[in-house]
Amino acid sequence: MKRRGRGIGCMWYPVGYTVTANPSAAVVKMNEDGTATVLTGTVETGQGSLTVLGQIAAEELGIATDDVYVVSADTDTTPADMGAIASRTTYVTGNAIRLAAGRAKAILFEVAAPLLRVKPDQLEARDRKIQVKGFPQRCLAIGEVANRAQVDMGQPAIGAASWNPPTVALDPETGQGKPFATYVYATQIAEVDVDDETGEVEILRIVAAHDCGTAINPMLVEGQVEGGISMGIGFALHEQILFDDAGRQINPNLTNYIVPTSLDMPEIEVDIVESFDPTGPFGAKGVGEPTSVPTAAAILNAIHNAVGVRITSLPATPDKVLAAIQAKRGRATPRIPAA
Amino acid sequence: MADRVTRTQEQEASPLEALRRADEDLRLPAVTPPAAYPIDTLVPQVRQQTPAVGQRATRSDGRLHGLGQTKYIDDLSFPGMLYARIKRAGIASARIKRIDTSAAEAMPGVMAVLTGREIPVNSFGATFQDQPLLADERVFHAGDGVAAVAAVTEQIAVDALDKIKVEYEPLPAVFDPLKALQDDAHQVHAPNSNIYASKTIRKGDVDKGFAEADRIFEGRFRTQMVEHVSLEPHAAIADWDPNGRLTVWSTLGRITLGRADLARTLKLPMNRIRMIGTIVGGNFGGKNEITQEPVLALLSRKTGRPVKGVFTRGEEFLCTTTRHPFIMDYKTGVTRDGRILARKVRLVLDGGAYCSFSETTIGKACILASGPYRIENLLVEAFAVYTNKTVAGAMRGFGAPQVCFAYESQMDDIAAALGMDPLDIRLLSAFDEGSTSPTGQVLQSVVVKQSLLKAAERFGWKEQVQ
Repeated sequence: MKRRGRGIGCMWYPVGYTVTANPSAAVVKMNEDGTATVLTGTVETGQGSLTVLGQIAAEELGIATDDVYVVSADTDTTPADMGAIASRTTYVTGNAIRLAAGRAKAILFEVAAPLLRVKPDQLEARDRKIQVKGFPQRCLAIGEVANRAQVDMGQPAIGAASWNPPTVALDPETGQGKPFATYVYATQIAEVDVDDETGEVEILRIVAAHDCGTAINPMLVEGQVEGGISMGIGFALHEQILFDDAGRQINPNLTNYIVPTSLDMPEIEVDIVESFDPTGPFGAKGVGEPTSVPTAAAILNAIHNAVGVRITSLPATPDKVLAAIQAKRGRATPRIPAA
Repeated sequence: MADRVTRTQEQEASPLEALRRADEDLRLPAVTPPAAYPIDTLVPQVRQQTPAVGQRATRSDGRLHGLGQTKYIDDLSFPGMLYARIKRAGIASARIKRIDTSAAEAMPGVMAVLTGREIPVNSFGATFQDQPLLADERVFHAGDGVAAVAAVTEQIAVDALDKIKVEYEPLPAVFDPLKALQDDAHQVHAPNSNIYASKTIRKGDVDKGFAEADRIFEGRFRTQMVEHVSLEPHAAIADWDPNGRLTVWSTLGRITLGRADLARTLKLPMNRIRMIGTIVGGNFGGKNEITQEPVLALLSRKTGRPVKGVFTRGEEFLCTTTRHPFIMDYKTGVTRDGRILARKVRLVLDGGAYCSFSETTIGKACILASGPYRIENLLVEAFAVYTNKTVAGAMRGFGAPQVCFAYESQMDDIAAALGMDPLDIRLLSAFDEGSTSPTGQVLQSVVVKQSLLKAAERFGWKEQVQ
């Protein structure tokens, strides 16, 4: 019989390296037509980081996502970056790009200020314009300002910057210190059906509420969450590298090492928890790794809720779940001694 | 119409013939039918809007990804390019007595063979440089490479690996991390202890906390070794230009550090190396370290030709990093109303044959081990141990999925024993803005409770009758 259960997995996760410096550097170049080019040493590994980094540069310069082209991943042309690791790209590289874009913008303000007959600090960049704060009608197109900066003033609007999250080393005895600049938080709740005759677990639904600070791009956050959950499901139920007695893997292939496919994916509902981190670019933190952290916990708690057995070792394969159910029944059923 | 004809034929044919034909039908055509995918510069409005932050902006490369037209490393080719393959030890612990590559070198089409002794600095690693690029004296796990071949086709390279004869002297090995902790265990990297990293977090007084607790819960939790299973395997191409400058195209996610590793292992100035990160088909922590790049660079230098290396799916499992298996002992003291007074955690990480990212994993696991909960009395101890197995390294979460499984499982056990709602017991202890972390850090932008409540509301937690 299929029994339904539900379980919570709640977690926290840091952004960036543990204590160790992990700087990112960036260059933002304003082109004469009001578009911008960003140079970053990070690598897009499929998560959509370049789109997010472009949006951060665009926001700082008051232009649109498509007005920014991000050049990445070439040690000859792009500056140092500790890379796509530790959920740090949006937070650390994002901060570097925001600072670099701010420096390019300062040059635009210096050029625009006399033209608009105000001081540079009275200006803001919005909607592809450099405008006087509070008087948006007093403005110049950002492309015109960028062109003048380069052609008339001989000062192209280029900014470079780097950023490193502030940390405090941990005491070797007690582990006390500030290992990370910020953390994210999340909860996932899983609903499962467990067949108590076969031990098979079917995940029906996962609700995920994730904090990532400001969601620079909510669609890409949702994508990360869905992808993270699929990895979490594999970790919870299917995936396991097995070894023989001589330490050789016995299932190094996708026939015998089972990863979840799209057909194994349950209904996923993603909620982004509203939050703002003052140390992140426009309040953003990160979302990459945390998305697959609480999934297994939620699923295993749902199994426990469904059939009352606690699986203490992953993955919760059908044989393991069935053995636990049978052991529990064995305990519950008084044994009648044989004659 | 054509469909119907085939079916009739199948009915007439013998069952074996029908099976054969069905098998034939499943094969992909040898040459893909020509299709043109013009570059479509249509920009969706969402990418044109200001302000940019908060927009559900699509990725500019999304269309070609969707059409399957993205060019990964395996799609790249250069004139005269060679293909490299690496011979794997297949034995978990051994001394290499002799490597005979002469038969492989004599094969037509084989352009170069490389062994570990030819690598200027044959070691790398994120924390300790304890991992050889190609094992030269000792084999520490079955996936260690022992020799590499560059040939004009991939098939010749594969065939050449069989011609390389390696003589091993088998040595004792240890595979169980708990056994590796024992004093008399085989030392993987003798004379060093099998415990190569440890970490402690101490806060308050756990003994006092346990003494004051109404109930104490204890449990051991274990997790398994898993692979990242990126769709794209590790791949790279190395090429030297006439100025003696090396260019490496790689699936690596960290090119700044990749270039530093190349400079170190090849003893080259950094300005003589250009590393280009290509479009990556999945990383998840598996592509954080160099693998075959220096080997390809040396094969390329030996032959004066570009050399490409693409791992097989098998190599992805055997020779790249995996997620650390954990053995986690949790002891938690709580009050009758569900408040956590003390928690003691002991973590043993199975690090496999080399250190890789164990230092980072052990650090994050310790700091996160008590969960997003206020616990005044805490003791976390963790040990990473060597075994003669596949290397454990960076993988999405660095120890967090493992400890989260343990602390959340125990949280539900506590709730069940005390007759509390799993949601309520978490809300009772969850961090608030300004809470102090296990390392004494004052936390900001904390939204644990909000995430619990939001997920519960969306799920309908309180409405569901249990």
